[in-house]
Amino acid sequence: MTLTLAIPSKGRLKEKCEALFAGAGLKLEQVNARGYRAAFAGLPGVEVLLLSAGDIAAALLAGDVHLGITGEDLLREAAPEIENRIALIKKLGFGQADVVVAVSNYWIDVSTMADLDDVCAAYAATHKKRLRVATKYANLTRAFFAHNGIADYRIVPSAGATEGALAAGTAEVIVDITTTGATLRDNGLKILDDGVILKSQANLAVSLTAEWDAEARAAAKTLLGKLGADFTTL
Amino acid sequence: MNASPYYKPAAIEALNRQAVTLLKLFAERFYAREEPSTLQPAALFLDRSGEEIRRRTFTLTDPSGRDLALRPDLTIPIAKRLVEEGRALPARISYNGAVFRHEPQAPEKPVQFFQAGVELFGEPDRAKGDAEILTLAIEALRAAGLKDFTLRMGDLGLFGALVDDLDLPPHWRSRLKRHFWRPGYVETLLDRIGHGAESSRLPADATAIEKLLDSQGEAPAAGRSRAEVIARARAEAAEVLKLDGNVAGAITRLLAISAPIETALAEIRALLKKAGIALDSELAAVEARLMVLKSLGVDPTKIEFNAHFGRSMEYYTGFVFELRTADGKTELAGGGRYDNLLELLGAPKPVTAVGCAIHTETLLAAVAP
Repeated sequence: MTLTLAIPSKGRLKEKCEALFAGAGLKLEQVNARGYRAAFAGLPGVEVLLLSAGDIAAALLAGDVHLGITGEDLLREAAPEIENRIALIKKLGFGQADVVVAVSNYWIDVSTMADLDDVCAAYAATHKKRLRVATKYANLTRAFFAHNGIADYRIVPSAGATEGALAAGTAEVIVDITTTGATLRDNGLKILDDGVILKSQANLAVSLTAEWDAEARAAAKTLLGKLGADFTTL
Repeated sequence: MNASPYYKPAAIEALNRQAVTLLKLFAERFYAREEPSTLQPAALFLDRSGEEIRRRTFTLTDPSGRDLALRPDLTIPIAKRLVEEGRALPARISYNGAVFRHEPQAPEKPVQFFQAGVELFGEPDRAKGDAEILTLAIEALRAAGLKDFTLRMGDLGLFGALVDDLDLPPHWRSRLKRHFWRPGYVETLLDRIGHGAESSRLPADATAIEKLLDSQGEAPAAGRSRAEVIARARAEAAEVLKLDGNVAGAITRLLAISAPIETALAEIRALLKKAGIALDSELAAVEARLMVLKSLGVDPTKIEFNAHFGRSMEYYTGFVFELRTADGKTELAGGGRYDNLLELLGAPKPVTAVGCAIHTETLLAAVAP
C-alpha cells in the first residue's frame, strides 16, 4: 500500500516542513489543484496529505495515516495516553512553544502550583464554586493539575484568544501555549514558576495503529532515512 | 465485562429480585426510596465535584443548548433536592438505579452499572449515624445472601485532628488535609516544611505588600478581591514554618499504618503516646465502630484499618469504609461521611451526612452459586 504522510496545510509549520524536505533533497509536488494532496518528486509510493495541525494528531491516533508532522502539544492533547498508539521518532527543531499555567499579575501571592492549589481551595470555600481554567488543552491540564494535587477547579473550553479570558471574566486561570511570553505579559499575566506543562516542538510521528504492510514499511524506511530519523520502531 | 452491558431475562430478573430485597430492608429502617432523573444539570457535578469526577462524567448538550450530565452517582442529586426543599432533618433516603461513569484507563469496564444505597442527612450524633449506616450496609449484604466478606476502614477525622494540633499556619493545615488521600504527597510536604524549603518571597511589611499590588497596572483581578489577595499575601509573608521533627515523623508513620483493626489501634496508640499527642475522642470513635461490628458478629481479624484510607472521592470528610469479597479482591459496597457536601450544595448551615452505595452487580456475582 501507499505510505501516507500528513503535514500541516498552512502557515509557518508548513513552510518549515518544506524547508526540512528541501534539506533532505526532497521536492514536494502538488497532485491535485486544490492542494490537499501532494507527492515527492522521484519518490514513488508516498502520498503526502496536507491537513490542519490538529487533524494530523487525530489521523495518527486513528491510524488513518502512517506518518505525520505536528506539534507535540497537539499529539499529547489528542488523547491522555498516546504511547501505545503513536511513536514520536524525531524532534524537528521548529515550532517550539511551551504549554504553561498562567495567572494574573494581580495575584501577587501566587507564584507556584502549590499557591494555586491553596487559592483554588480557598476560592471554592469562599465563593461556593470552582475556579475556572480556560484552555484548549483540557487533557494536558487535567493530567498536570492532578499530578500537582489540584482538584478544586473546572475547565472551560477556549477555542482561541485564551489570554483574554481573565479580562473578559470567563475564567480565573489559563493554560495556554506561548513562545516568548510577550502576549501573556501584555495581558497582565505571569507563568507560574513550576507551571510549564510541556516544552513542545514539531515532531515526526509514526502511527502504531495504522495498517503497515511490507510496501508501506519499505517506503517509510526510505523516507525516514532521507529525513535522518530513527525508524527501529517500525 | 462489556463496556455497554446488555441484560438477558435471567440476569435482569436476578438483579431485580436482589433490588427488592435490599429496598425492603431499607424501607423497614425508614429509608424511603427516591429516584432522581438520570439526566441532571451538568453544573451540579462539574462545579462541585472537581475534575476527577468531571473526567469520568458523561456530559451532553440538549437541543436548546443546556449542558446536561448522565448522573455519576445518586448522592449528589438527592442531597441537592433535600437542600432545595429545605426538608426536615434528620432525613433517611434510599435509592436504586443506574449510574454512568467513563473509565478512561479501563475501556473494558462497564460505563453503566446499578447502585443501591442509603443516605442519612442531619443526624447530629455522628457516632450514631456512622453505626446506623455501617450496620445497614452489612445487613443489606447479608440479606442479599452474602456469607463472608472483608472490611477496609479508615477515618479522615483522625488525620484532620492530628493536623489541627500542629503549630502551622491555617492554610498549611488545610493543604495537608486536602492532600490526605494522595499517596506520598503529604509525606513530601511534611519533609519540605521540616527543611524550610517553603519560605516566602513576599515583602514582610504590610505597606510594601499594598504597594506591590498597586504596581501591577491593569492586570485583571480574576475573581479575587483586593482584600482576598492582600490577606493571603500577608499570611504567606508572615509565616514561619517550623515543624517539630517528632511530630512530622509521627504523622508519616501514622499514615503508613495498615493492619487488622485491633493491631492498628494498638500501633496508633503507641505512636501517639511516644509523640505526646492525644487524640482520645477520635480513637474512641474508631473503637465504637469496632464494637458495632463485633455486635454484628464480624470477626475483627477480617477488618483492616488503613490510616491513609480516605478514598480518592473528593467529598469524604470522616469515617470511610469498604466492604469487599472474602478474598478482598472486589469491592461490594463503599461509603462514609461527607459533612461538607450539603453546604457546598447551598445549605444555609452545615448538615451532617453519611451514606453508603452497594455495587449490586458485583454483589450478585459474589453470591451466585
